[in-house]
Amino acid sequence: MSIPGLAARNLLRNKLRSFLTVSGVTVGVLAFVLLRTVIWAWTAQSEDTAVDRIVTRHKVTFVMELPMSHFDEIRSMKEVRCATYQNWFGGKDPSHDQEFFATIACDEKTLFDVYDDMETPPDQKKAFLEDKQGALVGEKLMQRLGWKLGQTVVLQSQIYPGDWEFHIVGVYKALRKAVDPAQVFFHWDMLNERRPARIKDHIGWIVSRVAPGASAARTSLAIDEHFDALDVQTLSQDEHAFQQSFLAMFSAVLTALDTVSLVILGIMMLILGNTLAMGVRERTGEYAVLRAIGFLPRHMVALVVAEAAALGFVGGAVGLAVAFPLINLGMGRYIEENFGGMFPFFRVTPSAAIVAMALSIALAVVASVPPALAAYRLRVVDALRRVA
Amino acid sequence: MSEISAASPLRGAAPSPETTPPIIRLKGLKKTFWRGKEAVHVLDGLNLDVPEGSFEALMGPSGSGKTTLLNLCAGLDQPTEGTVEVAGQTISGLSETLLARWRASTIGFVFQSFHLLPVLTAEQNVELPLILAGLSRAERKRRAVIALRAVGLEDRARHLPRQLSGGQEQRVAIARAIVNDPKLIIADEPTGDLDRQSADDVLTLLVRLNRDFGKTVMMVTHDPAAAERAGIIRRLDKGSLL
Repeated sequence: MSIPGLAARNLLRNKLRSFLTVSGVTVGVLAFVLLRTVIWAWTAQSEDTAVDRIVTRHKVTFVMELPMSHFDEIRSMKEVRCATYQNWFGGKDPSHDQEFFATIACDEKTLFDVYDDMETPPDQKKAFLEDKQGALVGEKLMQRLGWKLGQTVVLQSQIYPGDWEFHIVGVYKALRKAVDPAQVFFHWDMLNERRPARIKDHIGWIVSRVAPGASAARTSLAIDEHFDALDVQTLSQDEHAFQQSFLAMFSAVLTALDTVSLVILGIMMLILGNTLAMGVRERTGEYAVLRAIGFLPRHMVALVVAEAAALGFVGGAVGLAVAFPLINLGMGRYIEENFGGMFPFFRVTPSAAIVAMALSIALAVVASVPPALAAYRLRVVDALRRVA
Repeated sequence: MSEISAASPLRGAAPSPETTPPIIRLKGLKKTFWRGKEAVHVLDGLNLDVPEGSFEALMGPSGSGKTTLLNLCAGLDQPTEGTVEVAGQTISGLSETLLARWRASTIGFVFQSFHLLPVLTAEQNVELPLILAGLSRAERKRRAVIALRAVGLEDRARHLPRQLSGGQEQRVAIARAIVNDPKLIIADEPTGDLDRQSADDVLTLLVRLNRDFGKTVMMVTHDPAAAERAGIIRRLDKGSLL
């Protein structure tokens, strides 16, 4: 028998209470891990961006477009290795009205130069280049909507009227988290032909890759300075900053999720603290006897803290044991398939698991401070008199 | 008891109380508690010598100061005034840490309510005081078994307290009290929660520990029959020995 052994025995003293407490910690850890996974999945795209990829848009707002001449000028800059341009189409499949996915009119000739992290078989790439109505679709979207290669799909736009018929000639696989695996790309010319004259030959944004040795930040500045004196000025950001600016729109939601995850931890700590306080109160007589036979106040603290840490560890371990299969094999797959645009990767990260386990133990130890202090301050004579 | 060998932790022969110096020497002992602004003088200038190897029973009405006196002798409490000397060591004024170490090596406690840890077996309960002694696990176990043998409960070593009768629980508590071979056994109403037969068994055990192993026993009791088993009976009333 040892002090840690005694602490472990105390855990099993009231099995129902220990079970309920561990269950409370388990639920807390599960909820925490789930929320951290949501936050991580939301921000993962911005964390795994190409460091040399720059997005250039209208300086005023993303909604305003750039003249095609800007693309030619950017492409000719010595700091820029390659560039492409795109427009937001806002397409929807009328037969899947509730499904959201990005539909982008792109320059098919330069798309793969800039997005070398989109993998497409060569024959499909060739078919996409040759078919004016060709569409390149992300594999996740193909799975989600049940589309097949070679199928003709009719989309409607939230911006442009009419039906838009596309031939699915290629499927791409995203090799980087920053690339949405559930998009539809089609030829920009197809869009341009049907646009009103006043906005013809205007492009939504330009994506470029910097030349070897050039800095993305300095190139962004150089691009913006280049257009400073013109009527249409630009705002260039590297891909990470560009993604972050999108996330900023959801910052309130992310902050709320962060707060909720902290509140859950707080509740977990209160549950633990309550259990430990009850345990210490019930064992006042035993602690008094231990003190009488020579145990020191610090031994009492060690007993309480060790019991708390064990509760936190067991609760954390069970929570993670539930979280991994639940999120990675169940919920995560569903979310990736059905909400891939927003959460292309919805998995528990090792860092979230480690943080959850560490917090579970640390908060249990913090929760044990008041009862441990009570045990530390126990006056043997008073305690023996109370329980005699 | 005769089974205890020379290698037992329960060594020692019974010294003669008449010829030995006192194991407990109390001088001018006062203990005052405060109830709000009102001072309650529980012990009032008490002087007492307890010979080593004696078996003393302390009797008196409730509130007479018996348990307070016992707590002071055991180093569980500090006097308001006066000195407490036990086994040659003046313990009044010692720090909490030093007192705890001193108690671990010098005092064996027996309480009215046994106070065994319910999650530990009888053997593990007896082993508890040895955890702090820096002994190996094997040595702790060996001594715990010897102590249990001394109280006649070797065959109950693996039983949990709830699997024992009240008398057996108290005997386990006595084994826990003697496992570190203390000079002084402090017993506070050791038979208070027991039936007559169990009480007799426990008292017989305390008498044998006193007679055969020279343990000084200081016992508080309300029970005249229990007190009669002691060699000396002292009566306390209103903080003074009669």
